[in-house]
Amino acid sequence: MMTSRLAINRLRDHEPLDAGQIDRFVGRFGSPIIEGERATFLYRGEADAVAVRHRVVGLPDPLVMRRLPDTDLWAATTVLPEGSRVEYQIETRRGEHYERFNDPLNPRAAHSPVGSSSVCAATGYAVPEWVHHDPNARPGQLLEESMRSKALRRDQPYWLYLPARYSTAQRYPLLVVHDGGDYLQYAAMKTVLDNLIHRLDVAPLVAVFLPPRDRLREYPNHAPHARFVSRELVPALTERLPLITSAEGRCLMGSSFGGIAALSTAVRYPGFYGSLLLQSASLVFTDIGTEHGGGPAFDPVVKFVNRYRAKPTRVVDRIFMSCGTYEPLITPNRSMVPVFREAGITVRYVEARDGHNWEDWRDRLRDGLSWIYPGPQKFVYE
Amino acid sequence: MPAEEFHPASATPRTLLLGPQRFKQTATAALRSLDTDGPVAVINSGWEEREDEVSELDTALDGRAHHLRLYHRMLDVLEKDRRFAASALAFRDRHERLLSIYRLRLQYALDGAYAVQRRLLADGDDTAYGALDDAIEVVRHVDDWYLARLGALYDDGDLVERAATSGVIGWHRGEIEAALAAAAAVVLPGGNVGTLLRTLRLFSIDPAPGLPVIAWSAGAMALTEEVVLFHDHGPQGASETELFDRGLARVSGVVALPHARTRLRLEDKPRSAILARRFGDRHCLLLDEGVILDVTADGGLPGGSRVLGVDGAIHELRRA
Repeated sequence: MMTSRLAINRLRDHEPLDAGQIDRFVGRFGSPIIEGERATFLYRGEADAVAVRHRVVGLPDPLVMRRLPDTDLWAATTVLPEGSRVEYQIETRRGEHYERFNDPLNPRAAHSPVGSSSVCAATGYAVPEWVHHDPNARPGQLLEESMRSKALRRDQPYWLYLPARYSTAQRYPLLVVHDGGDYLQYAAMKTVLDNLIHRLDVAPLVAVFLPPRDRLREYPNHAPHARFVSRELVPALTERLPLITSAEGRCLMGSSFGGIAALSTAVRYPGFYGSLLLQSASLVFTDIGTEHGGGPAFDPVVKFVNRYRAKPTRVVDRIFMSCGTYEPLITPNRSMVPVFREAGITVRYVEARDGHNWEDWRDRLRDGLSWIYPGPQKFVYE
Repeated sequence: MPAEEFHPASATPRTLLLGPQRFKQTATAALRSLDTDGPVAVINSGWEEREDEVSELDTALDGRAHHLRLYHRMLDVLEKDRRFAASALAFRDRHERLLSIYRLRLQYALDGAYAVQRRLLADGDDTAYGALDDAIEVVRHVDDWYLARLGALYDDGDLVERAATSGVIGWHRGEIEAALAAAAAVVLPGGNVGTLLRTLRLFSIDPAPGLPVIAWSAGAMALTEEVVLFHDHGPQGASETELFDRGLARVSGVVALPHARTRLRLEDKPRSAILARRFGDRHCLLLDEGVILDVTADGGLPGGSRVLGVDGAIHELRRA
């Protein structure tokens, strides 16, 4: 089969290259250049070494870029399967000085609590349309509230989402979102909920977005956190809002450590929640010994997951799980699917060619929410 | 048949079922074919909060629409009669719970039928041992169980009694009865069929047999004996077709499937075959755009109606 040559190789045919040729090339293609299932990253500037830095399991990191002879243009080409989405940065070395930054030739960036990264989207990847503001979608309300928690011994702030057309004459399912502020800020979750409810993909629901205070302590299997959510927050909301009062109408959600917070809360209060929505949950475990490679922060996680794996129980009816195939957590997540199923839990498991990041979690929200709380599409015949 | 060629089967047509109206409007021709004068009572409560956005509908009905505004009346009832509202909410909770268990049972029953069908088709004999018939009988049993339990829910609760003794409901019912008595016809458009059925039930609406009715989409579903929900192209892919509630039973022996071409995976004939066999004593009626059906005097379907056959293919009923 004939394959067309990569643009960077066609450029090399014209060596020696002058600045004008490189200007035109970079101006025409930008970075990265996506050609079929290949991505070519470019960097232009003086340095002793340049590399693409990323966290894609399976690709070399750093991905070393090579300078085109007698130019200031650096390039590296890698495989990038259809539908992939990768976050990365450029790293330069000048002497002993390293610098890492977003790709100056790429305007696409993703944001997270720890900063921003450049985005490389392969052929076939598109940002879902329901992520963007839809003027036809009636907006729900987002209320900033707080409640006193005996369990946490502090006031716990949260955002309460009430869907458009909220009415006390209806009953609503409840979604408790860990890392709630980040889901709102980095996964556009208010907009996503407005849109998916408007499109009838997701049932009108009440969501509570919880921001953590000491995330690494409170999220991996922390009794006060679980008690706050299950014995204080949910009962208080159920008391004042028209919520479905059975377990079926209660879902805990979280990504990464937030996924562990969701699962461990459900394990501490079995039967109280009907479902979990876990995104790239940090389900790290060991089969033998204690070396898990995650550092001290993962010690309580591993202890919790190991204990659950030793004696899996049906703490909820259903779990939606998603994970990026390019993140290190893919293996633990895949491994936990049969464990949950063996315990009698109905599991919907979805993978995407993406990493451990907020846009991946955003892009999977429709899959997860429409499975947990399906919308009324089946009722509407216009 | 094309709307412009439509001629009623009898001088006094009673019930006309139409295809969806969004892109191919046939309601005007259907209404004119009734050859009636006077107001047309419109029940578009399935449009919910958009119930009053009726300019296009008014035009389609030659400016004769008298909107019964059942959705807004229902909101008024829930606002003013708190005891009824509490009973209605309690009933919905019980119904949701029942639906949830029904869906669970249904999924397993249908999975069993599909598995048996796959095996038999692979073996080249889908009648072997009567296994598929028996598997589908299990599905029917689950459907029957659900409808029986739903009936018991209606009987057990205090909803009917509260409605009967509610002053505000009584007032609305009086207004609606008067409007229907003065109407030359009733029109039931589409929308949310659950909401439509709830309002019909709340206000005890059952158009008199002599009063012509035109219905499409959710409205057409509401006229059947049992309302069946379906959608094969949701965000989670195909979901199982399920019973929801009893309808007005003005049309008999029919499972109404509006937007069948866009909502059902009709190309999957084995799946369609199980749907048709599951409701074997009824016609699975495809109500796609452009359709106008003049229901027979006994509530049955006219010749030419397109239905799903037990072979999973689409067939036309023979004309008399």
